[in-house]
Amino acid sequence: MGRFKNNKKSRVIVRPIPKKNQEDVSHVTGDKIPKSFVFSRMKLPGPVKQLQMDLRKLMLPYTALSLKEKKRNTLRDFLNVSGPMGVTHFLMLSKTASSLSLRVARTPQGPTLTFKIHQYSLASDIAQSQLRPRCPQDLFKSPPLIVLSGFGSQELHLKLATIMFQNIFPAIDINTVKLSTCQRLVLLNYNKDTKLIDFRHYSIRLQPVGVSRRIRKFVQNHQVPDLRNLQDVSDFVTKAGYGSESEGDEEAATVTLSSDLGRVNKGSTKSAVKLQEIGPRMTMQLVKVEEGLCTGGIIFSEYENVDGKKEKLKKKQDEESDEEEDSEEEGEEGSEEDGEDMDEDFED
Amino acid sequence: MSTGEEGHMAMADRGSRKRRVGVKKGTKAARNKKLKSKPSSSDRFKVTMKNQKLFQKRARDYNSDEEEEEDESKKQPEVTIREKIFSDANMGPNYEEIEEEDGEDNDENSDGEDHGEIESGITKFATDGCNAFKIAFKAIMKKTKGDDTLGPVLSAHKHLIGEKLAEEEAEKKAKGQARKAKHLIAEKGHVKPESYLDSHEKILIGVATKGVVKLFNAVNKAQHAQKGLNPSRSKDAKVLKKRRKEAFFSELGKTKTDPKAQKSEEEAPAWAPLRDNYMLANPKLKDWDKNQETKEGDDFAAMSGDESYED
Repeated sequence: MGRFKNNKKSRVIVRPIPKKNQEDVSHVTGDKIPKSFVFSRMKLPGPVKQLQMDLRKLMLPYTALSLKEKKRNTLRDFLNVSGPMGVTHFLMLSKTASSLSLRVARTPQGPTLTFKIHQYSLASDIAQSQLRPRCPQDLFKSPPLIVLSGFGSQELHLKLATIMFQNIFPAIDINTVKLSTCQRLVLLNYNKDTKLIDFRHYSIRLQPVGVSRRIRKFVQNHQVPDLRNLQDVSDFVTKAGYGSESEGDEEAATVTLSSDLGRVNKGSTKSAVKLQEIGPRMTMQLVKVEEGLCTGGIIFSEYENVDGKKEKLKKKQDEESDEEEDSEEEGEEGSEEDGEDMDEDFED
Repeated sequence: MSTGEEGHMAMADRGSRKRRVGVKKGTKAARNKKLKSKPSSSDRFKVTMKNQKLFQKRARDYNSDEEEEEDESKKQPEVTIREKIFSDANMGPNYEEIEEEDGEDNDENSDGEDHGEIESGITKFATDGCNAFKIAFKAIMKKTKGDDTLGPVLSAHKHLIGEKLAEEEAEKKAKGQARKAKHLIAEKGHVKPESYLDSHEKILIGVATKGVVKLFNAVNKAQHAQKGLNPSRSKDAKVLKKRRKEAFFSELGKTKTDPKAQKSEEEAPAWAPLRDNYMLANPKLKDWDKNQETKEGDDFAAMSGDESYED
């Protein structure tokens, strides 16, 4: 207290720069909150730069939105910074003449997943293609939920991918989570036939169900309705409006809320979950898994089977079959251990 | 060089000539006026009647049209006439003036006014300079007769200009192509969605919605169950928590965490009697309700103490 008094006397007015001290450890789950850097080590052409920005917004709030990288920064620089700042994941974009790739890596020495992006669409493209793009103010204030589907649990590299993605976003505690903070959703859908992963980013919206369309619009939009054709207000309230085609889908998407969510969606009434796509859209393929951070032994590589490298591997295996098997097993065990660790983190 | 000519011309004749060679000004009528006014205003020469007649005759004979068409047959006499004129012109500047005027008179009949003016300028220059120069200029003028695009330019220079223009165009094309190629590479993979919702997207949205619905229902259950109990009895709270966890995971149907969940489920209650296999696991205790047999007599006796204690 004495310190403060002295400050007042000396009349040095120091405006405190509001620093967002992000917590390192979630007070809810007791885990370390995963933070990420989205960057690239090379100069990116126009639309890819925008994609990088979209990805940064996606990872909000636990990411560096205005991260500036210089040409002379190497991966080591980022590693050195990530330690004290508590950054756990790196997302690296890189573009060559033939392909665009995204590398997801766990710091400081975690595995690296390399995805080749076949197609992508920017957030602005998607907003342009929609009739009513929606972006409420606090959309990016809380981290997104993640939904993984189609990955299965058999293949090792897919397992690793699921674990990695689950850990990129902070875990939620169902007992204490407020549904109003769950506003965004990231979907990763794996297609076994084409081996492509669809990456989508949605915003979640809850709409009360069972209310006629006009009343709902009236309450939501605060627009005074046009009553000149009606005899009585009761007509407005009770008139059977035409049903929109999405109302059929709403049946399946109905939830019963435990608490009030805004003015419209009251607790213990049925509401429908509606998703609207925001953010980038990507179609990617997992091509490589490395043990270290962009280094280390290759645990899985998609193109081993395509190139003639398969023959080389076969030869090696024939010659030194025992050694090869041992090293492979070790590699697998290593990744499994990582997986188990991550498992435990996630569970809690 | 043409500008040099003009400059020289201008310098020499500024007093008498109101017009510069190579620069078209005014209409035919205006030029006629100027022409006619000149002889009266100039002080330089005095034309005698005799000379005037001679010059007029020469002017009539001289036809610049024919010279432009380059008629072979007429060329020689034309040339000779010209040369004669040139040689006569050594008499003085007077003739030059008249020559020019005559030439200009004829110009009105000729097709290319430019050429007429230029020719007159050249004749003037040729008489002043050396013969070789005169020949060279004649050759050039013949070459550039049909040339309208680049104007009265020396042939070499014209080629240069042509080359430069061609070069620039080629460069622009190359640059444009390079830029296009670069742009294509940059945009590779960038797909702008034409329609917002096609069938595939609808499927994906459906999948995502299912996930969210599951999650929300689980949360709802958990939080609903939590509502009544949490502040009270800490003992039950623990059990409740466990049950909630199980319910949550079973709701979401996560296979990965199943083994662990099951482990926690199967984790037996701490208190021994609550276990299902309390007495049955231990073979010695298994048949406690059967009649005592001598074999198990001692064990039974030992155990009975325990039983009574736990009861």
